[in-house]
Amino acid sequence: MLGLEAISAQNGWAMAITGTIIVMSGLSILAFIISQLHKIIGLFEEKKKASSHFVQPAADFEILNDLESTARLYMPLTDELGDRFHLTDLYRIFEKENLPHPHLTIRSLRAAEYLLSQGEGLFSWKK
Amino acid sequence: MELFVDFLKNTGYYLADMRYILMICVGILFCFLATAKKYEPLLLLPIGFGIIVGNIPFFKGFGLGIYESNSVLHYLYFGVTSGLYPSIVFLGLGAMTDFSSMLARPKLMLLGAAAQMGIYFTLLSAMALGFAPKEAASVAIIGGADGPTSIFLTAKLAPHLIGPIAIAAYSYMALIPIIQPPIMRLLTSRKERLIRMPDTDRPISRKELLCFPIIGVILCCFLAPASIPLLGPFFFGNFMKESRVVDRLAKTASSSVIDTATIFLGFTVGASTQADVFLTYKSVGIFLLGAVAFSIATASGVIFAKIMNIFLKEKINPLLGAAGVSAVPGSAREVHLVGLKEDPGNYLLMHAMACNASGVIGSAICAGVLWSFMMR
Repeated sequence: MLGLEAISAQNGWAMAITGTIIVMSGLSILAFIISQLHKIIGLFEEKKKASSHFVQPAADFEILNDLESTARLYMPLTDELGDRFHLTDLYRIFEKENLPHPHLTIRSLRAAEYLLSQGEGLFSWKK
Repeated sequence: MELFVDFLKNTGYYLADMRYILMICVGILFCFLATAKKYEPLLLLPIGFGIIVGNIPFFKGFGLGIYESNSVLHYLYFGVTSGLYPSIVFLGLGAMTDFSSMLARPKLMLLGAAAQMGIYFTLLSAMALGFAPKEAASVAIIGGADGPTSIFLTAKLAPHLIGPIAIAAYSYMALIPIIQPPIMRLLTSRKERLIRMPDTDRPISRKELLCFPIIGVILCCFLAPASIPLLGPFFFGNFMKESRVVDRLAKTASSSVIDTATIFLGFTVGASTQADVFLTYKSVGIFLLGAVAFSIATASGVIFAKIMNIFLKEKINPLLGAAGVSAVPGSAREVHLVGLKEDPGNYLLMHAMACNASGVIGSAICAGVLWSFMMR
């Protein structure tokens, strides 16, 4: 059996339509949930804040207007990563250390060429 | 003298025919593309060498071939036929995937869903061409552009087609730079290709990254339980990575474990293309349908992005739709390059990775859905 007749006989239309609906609805629901996730997490954090004395985490560094000083201050943080590292690892360290505005800082350091690309996604500090 | 003649009759030189020589040439071509052209070398090199090894003619009954029980290759091939290697690859893939770009732009996930239309279109086409339903589903999953998923589903539904389907899936993944750009250009205007995407929508907290794999595995696997063998390890790998408390395990999963599985998966899939089993009219049909599946998947992603733009205030670049197929990171890279060609300052990579990541989830759901349909 060939053609449209074969599709109908093997229940192809129903499979294709149902499958399409399942994958579209599944990913749509997942997209909706993750779009609301930060709000849900925020709600829990608000509750936590209200029920306990909130202590502002101490920032070890302040964002400095002077990028050269910022780079100098941050360089020791990457010692464990070696001379060449991925920006995602650097971002993770910034986050772990509670440093303010990690994205912006890394971007500024790249733009000012304090972070130099070494190819294959690796970066190093300007010596 | 008689012993010598017998020996000669058992050599590959004596037993070879044109089919084996043709397949060995294909293997050499794959190795050439991997080494000289650097087309998906991680996939094409083990597959190419596997094709060469699998097509050396031998005297049947020695327990040498991949389809002969008790042969070493047969034991290694068990990882393919049981669906073990694809699950391990998904574990490593999860440990390597950074979902932050997707979490920052959840609406782009819909493009990952839209690009799966290629799968269902091909399902219908394969049925129309006379493939049995289980075979048609196995061929259709090529449209997901995900090698391990294709192998997994085929191993469950039509194990006799693993060779051609795996080779077709991986070949088209390697040919992304050739297949996708013309379709992207054909379906978009220059003005659309020039649309710039905002840098980041919002920063993603660690808690979101931690919650996502748990929500993802529960939601997707409850919806399509048959996708547990793929999505379970995938989200588990990602949870290990994001937890940051088992760095050693996450690093092992994303390096040694996935590399080992990739080596054996590629090599045995290549070796399974034994000429007498592989060179059939069905294989030709699979290759043709695979190309259709891949092209339709790309096109449906792009078209869906254009449809979304009708309703969105902040337009999205429709090229991103092409990254909805789950060929990570090949299709995202291609979208980025096509965008850069039009406007050297338009960086689409991170946005394309969001679509790509959702494409991986989408194709695994599709595999689960098809498997459950066929089990009824």
